[in-house]
Amino acid sequence: MTTEPPVAPASVPKMLQRRLSLLAKAVFHAADRCIKAGEQVPTVFSSTHGEIGKSFQMLKTIGAGEELSPTAFSLGVHNAISGLFSIVYGNRQEITVLAPGREGMAAAFIEAAGMLSEGRDEVLLVLYDEALPDFFPFAPFRLNADAPCALALKIAAAGPGLALRFCRSPEARDDGEQPVQLLALARFLVSSDESLILGNPGHSWSWHKR
Amino acid sequence: MENELKQLIIDALDLEDISVDDIDSHEPLFNTGLGLDSIDALELGLAIRKKYDVKIDAEKDDVAKIFASVSSLAAYIESVRR
Repeated sequence: MTTEPPVAPASVPKMLQRRLSLLAKAVFHAADRCIKAGEQVPTVFSSTHGEIGKSFQMLKTIGAGEELSPTAFSLGVHNAISGLFSIVYGNRQEITVLAPGREGMAAAFIEAAGMLSEGRDEVLLVLYDEALPDFFPFAPFRLNADAPCALALKIAAAGPGLALRFCRSPEARDDGEQPVQLLALARFLVSSDESLILGNPGHSWSWHKR
Repeated sequence: MENELKQLIIDALDLEDISVDDIDSHEPLFNTGLGLDSIDALELGLAIRKKYDVKIDAEKDDVAKIFASVSSLAAYIESVRR
């Protein structure tokens, strides 16, 4: 865990580094410890807003009647970072990119669990979000990260590592969506806490160390 | 013109670690040489259109020849601006 401004790891070729936003750098910074060049691992990305800063800049450009940057356009879509990830590591396995809502991070865990139950040995889970541009009124919803943040986890149905159980919780919670939940999960994983419950009314989930 | 174009390439394509002196006017811009890719070609086409009001038409013009190097690109822009 780090709160330093993200720097792209050396695995990302220089000519690709120039195209990484702060958010993309945070994603690579986190994911780089979970994958080596050429490693084939199915991956689930999850981001509530994706490259919202980049998208917003493009909307302003359109509003001003100017032409869009082809580079920004190609990197503004929701699966842009996952595409760069696939290129950088030469990972040709299936990659899914989710945009979760009230279920928060649970959607990504369910997706990854599904892949494991289909017989995959490991799944890489990459959760990331950045702050919304000032323009978007999000109150009363809690779905705004303070800064670019990313968490990468390699999960398997069995084997070494931290044993974790994940299930639905009947508790009525108000923990916001993924951009707010992300840090809570990261802190839980490195803490001595036994369990963590996160969610929203009717959509709560719990993680238990065992 | 060639130096101006080199600076435009650096700025438009975010080539942070490269200076005008690092770019050889005659070396290839794409794949080998400077190592630019197809997205860079689109971005550079847009930058040239904005700065020089010169549109390079992929349907009509011999794009590969025009974009071969800084030197060929400068020659093309000057020929159509006149």
